[in-house]
Amino acid sequence: MRPESQADGEIVRAVLAGDRERYAQLVERYRDRYARYATRMLGSVDAAEDAVQDAFVRAFDQLAQCKDPDKFIGWFFLILRNRCFAERRRNRTSASLDAANDVAAADRSDGGAENAESRRALQRALLELTPDQREVFVLKHVEGLSYGEIAERLSTSVPSLKMRMHRAYDKLRERLRDHT
Amino acid sequence: MSGHEFHPQVKQLLDGDITLADLPAELRAEGGEALRLLAGLDRTDVAMPAVTWRVMAALERRRRRYLPWLLAPALAAAAVLVLWLRPGTPPPSASLVTVRFVLVAPEARQVSLAGTFNQWNTQVTPLVRAGATGVWTATLTLPAGQHQYAFVVDGARWVPDPGAPAVDDGFGRRNSVLTL
Repeated sequence: MRPESQADGEIVRAVLAGDRERYAQLVERYRDRYARYATRMLGSVDAAEDAVQDAFVRAFDQLAQCKDPDKFIGWFFLILRNRCFAERRRNRTSASLDAANDVAAADRSDGGAENAESRRALQRALLELTPDQREVFVLKHVEGLSYGEIAERLSTSVPSLKMRMHRAYDKLRERLRDHT
Repeated sequence: MSGHEFHPQVKQLLDGDITLADLPAELRAEGGEALRLLAGLDRTDVAMPAVTWRVMAALERRRRRYLPWLLAPALAAAAVLVLWLRPGTPPPSASLVTVRFVLVAPEARQVSLAGTFNQWNTQVTPLVRAGATGVWTATLTLPAGQHQYAFVVDGARWVPDPGAPAVDDGFGRRNSVLTL
């Protein structure tokens, strides 16, 4: 079987050549992978769904600017990331209880009021981080990426990421003091 | 160090660089608190099955809206110049003017012009690439008056001329305007 990255490149090239319908394959392949990232970044499943949809439409619009079609997903991620950051800037004041409740309510797989309250508290605390801090925290501890992978994805250095992360740890501890 | 900051070794624990057993005894309680913080993190998947059809429907709606010209989203990062041939000399007749269109699009495979002067036909007015420079040109003799146009890159991407004034085409896009 061909590596997934090659298949992405083939699809991108086909779409650029006019086979628009094949774009659905890329959306299908990656929408859920980035749904969780967007949800944790924005604190709301609804806002995340809008962001993911909008990012895919924007990516289609700009597909010819994807310099390496085989690396479509890294390029797409940056579009989604920008969209999430812009959304957070627009709704800076809405890092709200409602948003935290939205996320906590969306997945209660292991149930329990205490767990749900704990998740809500953590989600609220996450939303109080700066977007940069939240992003590195989400990518490492929710998406399971290593510092090296995050650094590559965001074109930054591991020490810089660790600095952000360590500030995030302290801020989360402060916010969660009553819940830990 | 203020009361809410984790000890640097506890941050190493959170980073996954060491285990709880690696911590000195006096830091293990703090390490436990840190790990409980991470344990409260919601890592459940978020599914967005509707995103695929929402994206494709958005693209399809736009395609239909822009028919019969198959307007697709614009490509940025292209600098366009409109140069007059024989500046300062009168046009060859009272009603015709020769104009050279120039588009810098190094990654394009083909470029054409579509506008009011060719009934927005994307096929009949190709630009010619000047060697490997990425500069595409076409020279047209047009009737005096106002024309609207756009470049069409690779048969699908409509690129307005950033060096020319533009008007809304009534469908949410911009057409470049050339007044001769």
